[in-house]
Amino acid sequence: MEPPFVQPLVNATPDAKASPQARARLGAAAVSPETLHPSLWRGHQLGRGVEQGVPSGFPALDAQLPGGGWPRRALTELLLPHPGVGEVRLLAQALARVQQAGRLVMMFDPPAAVSAPALQQLGLEVDQLLVIQTHAQVRPEADRLWALEQVLKSGHVGAVIAWLPPRLRAERVRRLQLAAHAHDGPAFMLREASAQQQASAAPLRLALRAAGADQLALRLLKRRGPPLLAPLHLALPPVLSAAAWRRLQGLAEAEAAAGERLRAASFVNLA
Amino acid sequence: MLWIALHLPLLSLESFAATLPDAVASQPLALVEAHRIAAANASAQALGVQAGQKRATALALAPQLLLGQADERRDLQALTSVAHAALAFTPAVSLSGRCSVVMEVQASLRYFKGVQALRQRLHDALQPLGHRVHMVSSPTAQGSALLAQVCDDLHCPDEAALRQALAAAPACLPETARAQADVLQAMGLHTLGDVLRLPRAGLARRLGLALLQEMDAALGDRPDPREPLALPASFHSQLELFARADTTEQVLQGAQVLLARLVAWLSAQHAFVRSFRLVMKHEPRWRHDDKFPQATTLDIALAEPSRDAGHLMVLLRERLAALQLCAPTMELALQADDIARQPPPNGELFPTPQSEHAGLTRLIERLQARLGREQVQCLSPVDDHRPECATAVQAAEPARWQRWGPHDARGAAQSSAQPGHSAALQATPITRPVWLLMRGQPLQELRSQPLLEGRPLQVLAGPERIESGWWDGALAERDYFIAQTAEGALVWLYRARLPLSAGREGDGWFLQGRFG
Repeated sequence: MEPPFVQPLVNATPDAKASPQARARLGAAAVSPETLHPSLWRGHQLGRGVEQGVPSGFPALDAQLPGGGWPRRALTELLLPHPGVGEVRLLAQALARVQQAGRLVMMFDPPAAVSAPALQQLGLEVDQLLVIQTHAQVRPEADRLWALEQVLKSGHVGAVIAWLPPRLRAERVRRLQLAAHAHDGPAFMLREASAQQQASAAPLRLALRAAGADQLALRLLKRRGPPLLAPLHLALPPVLSAAAWRRLQGLAEAEAAAGERLRAASFVNLA
Repeated sequence: MLWIALHLPLLSLESFAATLPDAVASQPLALVEAHRIAAANASAQALGVQAGQKRATALALAPQLLLGQADERRDLQALTSVAHAALAFTPAVSLSGRCSVVMEVQASLRYFKGVQALRQRLHDALQPLGHRVHMVSSPTAQGSALLAQVCDDLHCPDEAALRQALAAAPACLPETARAQADVLQAMGLHTLGDVLRLPRAGLARRLGLALLQEMDAALGDRPDPREPLALPASFHSQLELFARADTTEQVLQGAQVLLARLVAWLSAQHAFVRSFRLVMKHEPRWRHDDKFPQATTLDIALAEPSRDAGHLMVLLRERLAALQLCAPTMELALQADDIARQPPPNGELFPTPQSEHAGLTRLIERLQARLGREQVQCLSPVDDHRPECATAVQAAEPARWQRWGPHDARGAAQSSAQPGHSAALQATPITRPVWLLMRGQPLQELRSQPLLEGRPLQVLAGPERIESGWWDGALAERDYFIAQTAEGALVWLYRARLPLSAGREGDGWFLQGRFG
């Protein structure tokens, strides 16, 4: 008599000596690739990286990202229409986690002056952050890419956020992706929204868009897994107080009712 | 006693080749002395150039031959740097002859775990200096020095083996016998073994007492004290370039040789350098020209004392790339006084926080060397209500990331307090935007509603009154509002507080920041 249990699915070929029932059981429970090696997956499944990703702090997003978070040792591209859609609030929790592990975060060429009190309110430690400016160089683009490559290759930095120059060639992005293999942590590349049309070597690409106050609409353009058709809506850490939210709701309802868009601003002491 | 002798057979050629750029150094080279070829390198010998030929003959055989003069001072500097590299292994190092170094290593054998391991490490330490070295070890200094001139990689563990090896050496090997080479040949003495079989009194009478004494010292029958080399307190080395250096790349190749010597000097005293100076002496274009400076000085200070030749080279390269040479350079000099004696870093298999911080310091140094010190910035919050003054930007100090101890404790304490911390974070709303404009951008108005890029902004929250800065003349009296753009992004606006002071601040709405 064959044993009542089925062998673990390492050896998938059914034994000729086994009974028809066992063979049917083995054949039905065919070997799934992810049990063989973490880098294998089927087309309809979400890929799993070798390492666990950095949790982003948004469970709805983590469920859609391969590896359960922002990937390590790979570039993550974020495409924005303009700075200030909520990208820093999206990344703040992951960066705070990296800083709490004692590692450094580097920012490359932020689009405007950075406010240190604002970063502290978001939970980041300002003395674990370095800002690298290359605007004033003779060849800013070349120097920015060189500095990025050096930092990624060294592997000593915990997380990198870089604002790449516009209309960057695809082979430059590919070179940065190769350099990112040595970087144990997330590497975020923020680019203009028109770069959507260009193919990129980054394994994860997201398009961000503001969808209301304190709301962010994310479209997953590229990931290791099936494409996500509907955009994700995330609630960012709030800037507006509860009273302001109520006012916003009231305004939206009144506007829907009246259909009139422009209102004169009036000085009312709001809480 | 165990003496290791390092003989450099091609010292003059190699020190001459160090003054040439790399591309030229592989071409046929020869040294000339009194119109005769004194030495030729491998590619010249392949073309038929031999030592002893006349200069004209050599040039006829190899028209592209590059000829140079042998310089004793230059050879001595190169030999001294080899001696400095040997000083890292034992304090008893001395120069022997024009191109040999002898070192006594019996006391160091236990630390370095045996003769073979010591010889291997010595070989690795001498590699960066770029010389061909014959290494022979034996119980006496003179014996090793003699044998190193004829063979390489020999070890005589005791006096019997030394005697056997010396017996096979040619008779004209010792200095004192070279003048009487024809006398020895006429007597039929071809090897030192033949010389040693002769009666001592007759040998002394025929060939001189000096030869007998040298052979006794070589065999260990006569004491042979050697004066150990004294290490100079500060490092100063010069290199006169063969061709003028017009670009910083050529200067860099010469500087590489000097940096290798600096590293040898540092390893001799187990120290690390904190700052060094490269002086580039210029060739005056006209003899009575006073306007051009005589020399350009480049000071390089390191955040963390280091002995790594690669790292020093990278820093020097980045600084030289940014430098404009005002005149061609003929001579380079490297000086270093500021050294730090500290224990070497542990070589570890897995990256530890300490090694990671050391690597981080070097990374920041490299970035600052290329981009400029002010471009690598760290931020700090300032207690000021005015948003444009609330952030102080300073150049980063690479040395800040060296210390691990207090930081580690802070990290551990914070990770334990993390759940409470993040809960506190969620509770307070964010009141300041991440992206700030230092000067408010004036906005258009339509029916007293502000417009950004032609679209109206919906004011949602405010006013937050900020009135500050009366003490330094930049008085700010503003009411701040949070507004929403047409897509839903949040921006931070202000307008001047009182209509009376509107003339000072400017009338209307201003954009101060975006909530990122």
